[in-house]
Amino acid sequence: MNKPISLLVCALGGEGGGVLTGWLVEVARHCGHPAQATSIPGVAQRTGATTYFIEVWPQSQAVIGAAKPVFSLSPVPGALDAVIASELLEAARCACNGLPSPERTLFIASDARALTNTERSYPGDGRLDSAALLDIVQSVSRQLHVLDMPAIAREHGTAVSAVMLGAIAGSGLFPFPRAAYEAAVQDSGRSAQASLAGFAAAYAIVAGGERAQREAGARPEPAAPAGATDEMTGHPQDGAPAAVPSMPLPAAISSMPEPVAAIAALGYARTGEYQDRAYGRLYLQRLQRVLDVERATDPEGEHGYEASREVARWLALWMCYDDIARVADLKSRRSRADRVRREARAGPDELLRMHDYFKPGIPEIAALLPGWLAQRVNEWGRKRAAERGEPWALPLKLASHTVSGTLLLRLMASLRLLRRFGSRHAHEQALIDEWLDTLNDSLSADWQLGCEVAACGRLIKGYGSTNERAKDNLLHLLRHVARAALLPLGERAQAVRKGREAALADDAGKALDRVLADTGAAPRQLREQPIRWLPASVRREVK
Amino acid sequence: MEVSFEKEIQQLRLGAGETFHGEGILAITKGLLESGVSYIGGYQGAPVSHLLDVMVQARELVAELGVHVEACSNEASAAAMLGASIHYPLRGAVTWKSIVGTNVAADALANLASPGVTGGVLMVIGEDYGEGASVVQERTHAYAMKSGLLLFDPRPDLQNMVDMVKHAFRASEASNMPAMMELRIRACHMRGSFVCSSNRKPVISTLKPLAEPADFDYGRLAHPPSTFLHEKLKTEQRIPAARNYILANQLNELRGGRHAGIGIIVQGGVSNALLRALQDFGVADAFGDSEVPLLILNVTYPLVHDQIAAFAADKDAVLVVEEGSPEYIEHEIASVLRRHGLATALHGKDMLPAVGELNPEAMLHGLAQFFARHLPAIDVQPVRSQLEATATRRQQLAVQLGQSEWPAVPAAALPARPPGFCTGCPERPVFSALKLAQRDVGPVHVAADIGCHSFATFEPFSLGHSILGYGMSLASRAGVSPVMRRRTVAIMGDGGFWHNGLLTGVQSALFNGDDAVLLIFKNGYTSATGTQDIISTPGKANKAMAVDKTASLTATDRTIEDTLAGIGVKWLRTVHSYRVSTMRRVLREALTTDFKGLKVIVAEGECQLERQRRIRPWLEALVARGERAVRVKYGVDEDVCNGDHACMRLSGCPTLTLKDNPDPLKVDPVATVNDGCVGCGLCGENAHAATLCPSFYRAEVVRNPRWHERAVDALRSVALRVLRPA
Repeated sequence: MNKPISLLVCALGGEGGGVLTGWLVEVARHCGHPAQATSIPGVAQRTGATTYFIEVWPQSQAVIGAAKPVFSLSPVPGALDAVIASELLEAARCACNGLPSPERTLFIASDARALTNTERSYPGDGRLDSAALLDIVQSVSRQLHVLDMPAIAREHGTAVSAVMLGAIAGSGLFPFPRAAYEAAVQDSGRSAQASLAGFAAAYAIVAGGERAQREAGARPEPAAPAGATDEMTGHPQDGAPAAVPSMPLPAAISSMPEPVAAIAALGYARTGEYQDRAYGRLYLQRLQRVLDVERATDPEGEHGYEASREVARWLALWMCYDDIARVADLKSRRSRADRVRREARAGPDELLRMHDYFKPGIPEIAALLPGWLAQRVNEWGRKRAAERGEPWALPLKLASHTVSGTLLLRLMASLRLLRRFGSRHAHEQALIDEWLDTLNDSLSADWQLGCEVAACGRLIKGYGSTNERAKDNLLHLLRHVARAALLPLGERAQAVRKGREAALADDAGKALDRVLADTGAAPRQLREQPIRWLPASVRREVK
Repeated sequence: MEVSFEKEIQQLRLGAGETFHGEGILAITKGLLESGVSYIGGYQGAPVSHLLDVMVQARELVAELGVHVEACSNEASAAAMLGASIHYPLRGAVTWKSIVGTNVAADALANLASPGVTGGVLMVIGEDYGEGASVVQERTHAYAMKSGLLLFDPRPDLQNMVDMVKHAFRASEASNMPAMMELRIRACHMRGSFVCSSNRKPVISTLKPLAEPADFDYGRLAHPPSTFLHEKLKTEQRIPAARNYILANQLNELRGGRHAGIGIIVQGGVSNALLRALQDFGVADAFGDSEVPLLILNVTYPLVHDQIAAFAADKDAVLVVEEGSPEYIEHEIASVLRRHGLATALHGKDMLPAVGELNPEAMLHGLAQFFARHLPAIDVQPVRSQLEATATRRQQLAVQLGQSEWPAVPAAALPARPPGFCTGCPERPVFSALKLAQRDVGPVHVAADIGCHSFATFEPFSLGHSILGYGMSLASRAGVSPVMRRRTVAIMGDGGFWHNGLLTGVQSALFNGDDAVLLIFKNGYTSATGTQDIISTPGKANKAMAVDKTASLTATDRTIEDTLAGIGVKWLRTVHSYRVSTMRRVLREALTTDFKGLKVIVAEGECQLERQRRIRPWLEALVARGERAVRVKYGVDEDVCNGDHACMRLSGCPTLTLKDNPDPLKVDPVATVNDGCVGCGLCGENAHAATLCPSFYRAEVVRNPRWHERAVDALRSVALRVLRPA
C-alpha cells in the first residue's frame, strides 16, 4: 500500500476527457483520498489523440495522517495499474508505447473505431484490422474489458466521458463505492440523468464481466456463396435497388462451378436490372468465355476458379457503370427515401426534406448521344474549358422530396432506354472487351497472369475524371505490362499485381509511376498542365 | 468567447484558510491576486491561456480589487506593459506561451531587464516542451541568463507553486530583476489543492491611482550611457541580491538522506518524476522522503553558487537532472565545482537524455547508471529488468505490427492521429478550394502560419512549405516569389494578422510592391488558443440581434477589410469560406491575374466551436418551447458511392467516414456521414466544386412543423407513392 493507484486515460479531443478527470478527482476528494490528475490535452477539441493521467492514494488521508504523497505527472512504463481507452487504435497505440504490462495492467478498451485520415483517404480499403489491434491490446493486459463506448454513449444520449466513468467504477480499480461516482455525476448539472444512464450501462458491463453487444455484425464476406443465397438479387438488404424476382436463373449459371455461380447470379441480376435481360445474358456470355478458358488452363479447378470469380464480380460492376440514368433511378426509389429518413433520424412527427447534388457536365450529356454527335459536343466542351479555365457543368441541388423533383429524377432515370445508343455505352463495351481479350489471352498463357489481370477489374471505379483516370490506368497495365513483350511471361503476373496495388494506393498515380519505372514498363502519358501565368521576366524571355 | 468560467471565478474569491481545488494555472492566478498585483496582461497560448481567459471574464472581481486586466495584442505588448513597474512600486504579472512568446517579447524584455524594476514583476510562462507541445523545442532558460531574469521552476505541488508566486514578487523587488516562472504543460493542467490566503488589494490601483508621474530619471532609461551602468548593476548588485533572497528564504529545498556520498540536483519542475523513479530503486518513499540527498531548485536562475558548492563539497558524485538542451545548469555547476576546487564527480547529460521530457522512464535509465557507478549498495537489477521488459515488449509489438498487412499504413507503424479541423470548421472548405485551384494552375508554394489553419499541413490536405512563426507567412515568402514561375500563396489567420502579420507581412509587401497572394482566414477569434476575442470579433450586439442564431456573424465586422483598404491594398476580395466553387475561382484569379501588387483574399466564416456554443442551446430552447426548428444532416447514398474516397481526400471531416459496403458485389468500404454531422454544407459544396460522384444528399428535418407544411407534406406523400418505384 505504499504506491498510488495509477490510471491512464486515452481519449480523442471532444470526448470529455477533462470532465472525466474532474469527476475522478472529485470522487477521490469526497472519499477523503489524496489524488492528482493531469493531462496533455493539446488542441483537444480538435479530434486529435489526448491523454490524461490520474493517481489516487489507496488509503484515505485519515489513515495516513498529515503525510502528503508525491504524485507523478506521467506514467511509469510497466508500472501502470490501469488504462482506459475510448477508441481501439488509441488503445493499441498506448500498448505499443510500452506503458501497460501483462503482469499489472487492467485494460478497459473500446472496440469502436474512429478512422484516421490515413485510413479514410486510401482509395481502396485502408482500414486497419480491428482484430489485430485487439490482439495487441490483449497481449499487454492482465485483464481486459472490451465495450463499445461511443455506442453506449449514443444509446443513452450522453458523452463518452460518462461511459468511461461507469467502466472505471465497475472495474473496482479505486476503493470508492458506486454511490460516490454517481454523486459526482449528479453535481454536473442538467445533463446528469443521461450521464447516469450511460454510467450505469458501462458499470454493468464491466462489473458483470460481460462483453458489450456489438451493434454492427461482422464485415460481410463478399465472396461467400452461403451468405449470398438470400441476396440473390445482389442488392443490399437495405434494399435500394428493387429486387427482380421475375427473372429466373438461367441454366448457364447452374452449370457453373459453385463459387463462380454464386457471384454470377448476383451479377446477372444486377446487369439485368441495370439495363435489360439481354444485357444480363451478355454478362453471362462474357463470363462463360473466361470460365471456358480457365477450365482449359486448369481443368481440375485446382485454383478454385479464382480468375472467373474475380471476373464475375468486376465485370458486373463495370457493366453497371454509373451514369445519369442509373443515379437518378437509385435516388428516386421509395426504399431510398426510407433510408434517408432513418439515417437523418427523423421522427414520425418530423418532416424530411432531401436535396441531391448533381453536376452534369458535357461528358455526362455526351454519354447519351450517338458517337458522331458526342465527339462534336465533347470537342466544343474542351475548347470552351480551355478558354474559360473550367469545363461547363450544371450544378444542381435537386429537391427530391418534392413532386417536381421526383418527376425530374424519374425522367432522367428513363434515359436508360437511350443508353444502348449512346457513345459512352459503346466506349465502355469496347474497353470491357479489351480487358476480357487480354484476360483470356493471359489466362491461356499463364493462369497466374490471367488471374492478376482479372483482379485489375477492381481499378474501375469513381465518377467523372476519377473514372477516366482509373480506366487509363487499367488500359496502361493491360497494354504495357500484361502484354509487354519485353517482360518474360513468368514475371508479368507479379508486375501486374504490383501495378494494380500501386494504382489503388494513391489517386495521383505516383506509386504506379514508380512501379512502372521499376519494372521497365512504358511510363504513363504526362497530364498536361496549362500555364496560366508567368512572371514578367520569364514572359519577356519566352517572347 | 462563449465559454463561461463562472465556477473558476468563484474559486478566485476564496478567503484565508479555505481550500482551493482545481488546475495549476488557476492556482497561479489565485496566487497573483493574493500577491496584490496592480495589473495583469498577456497573450493567450496553451498551456497558460486560462490565466488570462479567467481574468478577462472576472470583471466584477477585478473591479472590486482595482486590478487592471489587459488582453494584449501580442507578447511584445505584454512585456512592454511591464514597463509600468520600472518607476512605480506596482506589482504586475503577464503570461504567454514559451519559447515562441518569449521570442516575440524579447525586445521589450531586454529593455525591461536593463533598467530593472521597482515593483515586483512576474511573467508566467507556459513552457511548451515535450509530449503534447506545439512549438519549436527550445529552453526559456537562455533568456533568463542573457537578460538577467529570475527564473522560477517550482516543484509541481499547488501549495508550493502558489508560495513561489509570492516569493517571486518579493525576490523581484529585492533584486530589481523581473521574474519568470516556467510551468510545463502537465503542471498547468495538474489538478490538486492548496490552502488560500485572502486576495490583497494593490496599494496603487485603478481605485487608488497615482497622482503624479515619477520624476525624470535618465538612469531608468534603457539608453546609453545608462545601459553600461545597468550591465554592471546586474552582476554586481542584482544577482547577488537575488541569491541572498533565495538563500535567506530557503526557496531551494534540501532533502535527505543517508547515502551522503552522492547527491542529486534537480529542477523543481521535474522533481516529481525523479522522486517517483527513486521510489522504484527503494531509496525514497511515496511521500518524498529520499535516502539520497537532493537539492530541488525551485529557482533555476540565478543559481546560488555557495549553496551548490556546499551541497557538493563532501560528496563523491553529483547528478544534475535538467530537462532539454543545452544543459545550462550543468555547465554552470561544473564551473562552480572547478572554482571551488572540488573534485566531486559531475554527471548529467552523460546519463540522461539530451532532448525530450524527463519522464520517469528517462529518470530510471539515468539513475540506474548513476547508482551503478557511485552507489553499489543499491541493487539496480530489478529496475533494469523492468526497463528491459518494457523494451522487449515494445520490440515484440513492433514486430507484430510489421507483420500486419495494412495497405494504407507502412508496416511497423500505427497511423498518427494529429489534431484536425473541427466538424463544421469554416477553414476546411478553403483548403478544399486551394487543393482544387492547384489542379487548375498547377502546384504552388504555400507559406503556412501558426493557427488552426496549420492543421492543413496534415492529411488529407498536406499543404504548406514552411512555418516561420505567428503571422509570418506573408513575410516568409518574400524571398520565394521573386524566383518562382508560379505565384505563391501565404496563409494567415485573423489571430496571426493582428498579432503581427499586418505589419511584418502586409505593410512590407505593399512597401516593396511585392507580387504576392495572401489568404486571410477571418473566423472571428484566435481559435487555436481557445477562441479568445480579438478586435475583429463579431460584436455582442450583433450576436444578440441575430434572428437566425445559426448564421455566421463574421460578415458583421469589417475591421480587417477596412484596415487593408486603409493601408493601401488595391486587390481585395472577401469570399464566404463555404463557397468552395467561388473560392476556387477567386484563388485562380489571384494566381493568374495581370495585377502585380499584393492580392488579399479574406475567407470569411465564423469559428464553428463558437457558433455551436450559441446554436445548440438556441435550438434546444426552440424545440422545448414547441417552436419550429430545422436540423440539417448530410448523408451519402451507399448504392451510388463507389468507394474511391475522393470526397475524403478533399475534406477530412471527422464525421465523413467509412462503413462496410452493404453491396455483396463490391468490396471497398463506402463513405458515410455519422451522427456528429452539424450540417455545415461542405459535402455538397465539394461535390459540386470538384464534381465528385453524385452520392451526397442534404437532409433537413423539420421539428414542430407548421400546419400548412404538414398539409403540403401529406399531399406530396400521396403523389410520391405513385411516382416512386419500390
